[in-house]
Amino acid sequence: MAMLKTILGNLLRPSRTRAPADMPDVPPAYRGALAHEAARCTACGTCAYVCAPKAISFTQDPGLSVSWRFFIGQCSFCGLCAQNCPTQAIRLEAGVPAGMNSAAGDGFRLESVIPLRACTRCGAAHVPLPASTMDALWGSDEAERGYCPECRRWAAGARLRVAFVPAAGEEVRHER
Amino acid sequence: MNLIERVVAISRRRSPWICRLNAGSCNGCDIEITPLLSPRYDAEQLGIELHGTPKHADIVLISGTLTLRSRQAILDIYDQVPSPKAVVALGSCPLSGNVFAGSPLVLGQSLDSLVPVDVWVPGCPPRPQAILDGIARAASLLEEGATRSQMESLLEGGQGRPS
Ligand code: SF4
Ligand code: SF4
Ligand code: SF4
Repeated sequence: MAMLKTILGNLLRPSRTRAPADMPDVPPAYRGALAHEAARCTACGTCAYVCAPKAISFTQDPGLSVSWRFFIGQCSFCGLCAQNCPTQAIRLEAGVPAGMNSAAGDGFRLESVIPLRACTRCGAAHVPLPASTMDALWGSDEAERGYCPECRRWAAGARLRVAFVPAAGEEVRHER
Repeated sequence: MNLIERVVAISRRRSPWICRLNAGSCNGCDIEITPLLSPRYDAEQLGIELHGTPKHADIVLISGTLTLRSRQAILDIYDQVPSPKAVVALGSCPLSGNVFAGSPLVLGQSLDSLVPVDVWVPGCPPRPQAILDGIARAASLLEEGATRSQMESLLEGGQGRPS
């Protein structure tokens, strides 16, 4: 039955791809062109660490931004970066990268700029967490959203201290 | 350009003959050329014909990492291809060495530093369709006289063979 279906399908469909741009279906798990979403990236460097051919690198504009850089001419499309990115900032799309006339062409290098944000408490520039992570951690109107990692640690410590050590002047009651 | 030259240029685009050169590839890119010549992708619909000898080729497909041992072979074979000629580089390897970069047996340079490359087809390996697209691009560059070797011979005062 399956064979008949295949034969019928082949009869109804052109037997060959007619033009170079006329792409046949790619499998659902096909690893094609890489896409990076700056808003989700925390510049943690995991992708660059797992990439065997070193296709991913970072550059910095101190105090302003971190750039995630990708060179397609060094990528082996293994998909490890997408698999290991903790925030799912990288996707390998089904699109097939097209040929290019020069190696310096824009399509060969991707640059994704992650702007730094100033901490609302100490002012230190830091890479903000992705919005969905912050929502899950603190909800929408929490002051800690704008904190740098250093101040977040301080805020968590302060919360812990309040929970254990009663503030001065407050009467300690032990109810049994 | 007179009429005859025009006809010759058009025929060059309509029937590019290709020659395949493996510079040290893992064979992935070369395997993708085989379906290209099969009925599904059918390279012959563009007049493409695969030839074993570089002396009959218009377009050279170079795949794979450049190794110390293949360097001279690439230069020799490229010289045997009659002008005008175009070069298509397949995959990530000729561009950067890919995962093999840094090995002591691999040249740490892009193919561009050996021969003038006209079209880069990214992928590891590229899909047959992308290779077909790359050959079609190279063929139209040949027609326009815009491949890098044609431009270079133009700059040198037309020392290349007349087209
Ligand atoms: S893309 Fe993902 S793995 Fe890479 S630096 Fe950004 S968050 Fe980390
Ligand atoms: S797909 Fe593999 S080779 Fe390409 S950037 Fe990601 S980890 Fe590196
Ligand atoms: S680009 Fe990938 S498939 Fe092609 S030769 Fe290099 S490693 Fe092999």
